[in-house]
Amino acid sequence: MGIIIRDLHKSFGSKVVLDGFSVEARDGETLVILGGSGSGKSVTLKHVVGLLTPDAGEVEVDGEVVTTLKQEGLFALRRKVGYVFQFAALFDSMTLAENVAMGLRRKSDLDEEGIAERVDECLRLVDLEGYGDRAPSELSGGQRKRAGIARAIATRPQYLLYDEPTTGLDPVTRAMIDQLILRMSDELGVTGIVITHDMDSAFRVADRFAMLHNGRCRFQGSPDEIRASQDPVVRGFIEGRPELLEKES
Amino acid sequence: MQLLLKPFVLLGRGGVSFAAGIGRWGVLTADTFRALRHVDVWLRLLIPQMARVGVDSVPIALFIALFTGIVLALQASYTFTGAIPLYFVGVLVGKTMMLELGPVLTGLALSGRVGANIAAEIGTMRVTEQIDALETLAYPPLAYLVVPRALAGIIMFPVVTALAIGMGIVAGWITAIQLLDMSSADFFNGLTLFFLPFDVTYAMIKATSFGFIVTTIGCFFGFHTQGGAEGVGDSTTRAVVASSMAILVLNAFWAIVLL
Amino acid sequence: MNRSKEALVGVVIVAAILLVTFGTLWLQGVSLRATEVEVTAAFSSVGLIRPGNAVKYRGVRIGRIREIEVDQDGELVLVRARIQDDVRLPSDAVAILSPESLFGDWQMEIAPRDRFPAYRYSDPSEDDHLAGYSIPDISQLTATADRISADIEILTERVGIAFSEETALNVASLIENVEEVTQRLSQLITQQADAFVGVTAEIQETTHEIGEAAVGVRRTLDRVNEALARDEVGEALTDLVAMTSNLRALSEGIEGTSDQFRATAAQADSTFKRVGTILTAMEEGEGTLGRLLRDPAVASELEGTLQELQLLLEDVRLNPRRYLRLSIF
Repeated sequence: MGIIIRDLHKSFGSKVVLDGFSVEARDGETLVILGGSGSGKSVTLKHVVGLLTPDAGEVEVDGEVVTTLKQEGLFALRRKVGYVFQFAALFDSMTLAENVAMGLRRKSDLDEEGIAERVDECLRLVDLEGYGDRAPSELSGGQRKRAGIARAIATRPQYLLYDEPTTGLDPVTRAMIDQLILRMSDELGVTGIVITHDMDSAFRVADRFAMLHNGRCRFQGSPDEIRASQDPVVRGFIEGRPELLEKES
Repeated sequence: MQLLLKPFVLLGRGGVSFAAGIGRWGVLTADTFRALRHVDVWLRLLIPQMARVGVDSVPIALFIALFTGIVLALQASYTFTGAIPLYFVGVLVGKTMMLELGPVLTGLALSGRVGANIAAEIGTMRVTEQIDALETLAYPPLAYLVVPRALAGIIMFPVVTALAIGMGIVAGWITAIQLLDMSSADFFNGLTLFFLPFDVTYAMIKATSFGFIVTTIGCFFGFHTQGGAEGVGDSTTRAVVASSMAILVLNAFWAIVLL
Repeated sequence: MNRSKEALVGVVIVAAILLVTFGTLWLQGVSLRATEVEVTAAFSSVGLIRPGNAVKYRGVRIGRIREIEVDQDGELVLVRARIQDDVRLPSDAVAILSPESLFGDWQMEIAPRDRFPAYRYSDPSEDDHLAGYSIPDISQLTATADRISADIEILTERVGIAFSEETALNVASLIENVEEVTQRLSQLITQQADAFVGVTAEIQETTHEIGEAAVGVRRTLDRVNEALARDEVGEALTDLVAMTSNLRALSEGIEGTSDQFRATAAQADSTFKRVGTILTAMEEGEGTLGRLLRDPAVASELEGTLQELQLLLEDVRLNPRRYLRLSIF
């Protein structure tokens, strides 16, 4: 099944963000989408859960075409997809435990006791045990991000979308989150899309890579393939050499 | 030539964006009505919103009504001295509080308090992707955010307004007997003289419509917030200005239609 | 969601509902205890009465006007009111519409027919309808009393120019007559005041003032008589001026109470006839004062004034309610 993005076009006003982007995350694998800031990575992820509608092209998730689903179908689909936001997007009117429970109340058939158990379990997974009664404003950036992951995984989704999960975190926390992503994939068989420009993290979690450049897919392939790639844009990006990128554009 | 045309260009652009804004507000309102069917989502949020929109607004509304009642009584006696019997103080305090100042002042105060609060809260949720997060958790945002607030406004504005009217009349009465040397009987004679039950209906209709307009406009500007903190501030200001104007226009509308 | 917040929301809503419900009922004058019955009265016209106005019986508010409609054949206006059912109306009850105050509020007073027998009551088409009479809208009365005193002032001035002993007696007689009128006026008002239930303090105060003014007038008159007897004409004139101002004060007192002094009824009064006689005598040229008064302007002015006062007094006696009502403010 997996997630298939076909020929996606999206513009905001006169600014073309996606210009025929196609990529595929196969069932059970973790796809890392690379790309510079503002290259449209987050926009792509939002299309996957139907937060944005494309100008042209389509997105298929779990065999269903997201772009043509009505609201009810979309809600049904979202029950299978977890989304980790770049800045966590925790509901600041609620405690951490309530944040994590939000999806469960809507998406699962668990009773209150079951929900409490699941919340504890998820908080333990992201190393936030005992923080359930805190408000999001009382947490550090890294803790918030982990809480965001806890909320996304609470419903045990088949698909997980990570929007820059490790950006701006200390190395220890980054490693911890990378392990978490791997565990989701290995133990629960989750299909994941991770967008990042943190290359260390990318190589740790990726089964496959895709690179978004100028609105299109510039590269798609395994970690070994990307290391071997001679494309100056790809090389410039993974080696952090802007002169290669400039030459190209 | 270019310079001469500029004011008209600006005017035209302003007019178009104003009309577009009303259109988008209408769409949001229509979608909100459709979102009413997600009872399971908004029902448990309704009471907290009623507490925030209504109960928390009671002190400010009563405060405003208290001083309005005092001033009305004093100004009525100042205006009527000599020519017209003092019991008209009761007539004026009662009629003005019920027909005009009770609903409108409460509405304006609450547009500042409730409208701004809603716009800022939803605007912040928009710019920090909390609304997107709601959607990914399969919550319909309109049912979760707009419906409980709009319903709370519709239910609680009349409640707050009724209390404010009562407060204003009591304040006018106390002023009349303490400062104006009127008797209670005089005041209440005036109060009842021209009273019609329709006055109350009229006040409640106005308050209900104000509750609806203030909350939906607050939600509207919150939802259409762009950018960061500055965008939130901008939406908040615009929500207050727009809902205040909408209250005054609606007020005139009801006066034309119902009186 | 904590329980106390829910309770608070509930309390606020209940408070508002109670306020609106009971406030409306109370302002409408609906009594929750006493039950009410409907009475209908027929009028040929209804003046300024409107739904919501008070219904009174012997001055006590017993209900409200509910509805006003023209009878089927268009001859009568039917006024329906709801009144307390524990009030027992007299068998020959009639309904009178009159102003409750000068400012547009009318009332319906229920009274036995013989209280105001002179009114032309309507003839209701149905037995259970009360016969009704609507008091005509009173035109604003001018300050006639004020003019009387102004006239007397002019008179006094002229008397000062050409005063003789011969005319002094005429003046004394004239003043005596004026005093009598004043006293009658005072008596009349006092009587009427006594006759009515629920007369307010203002009426009593006004009557008292009028009485005091009358005493002042009498005192002045005594001094005038005294002065005339001692032939001290100059002093007499000063006193006459003082008396005039007393009279003016009295008239202002009346004016202050009622503000309306143009009579509508028309019948002669014997007191004024006597004043008239003196006037006629003067007009015919008796003595210096008489000659003076031949000035037709002053004479007719005074006569007209007296006539107006006379009509007014008559009207006050016939329809005292109209004037006493004014003291409500």
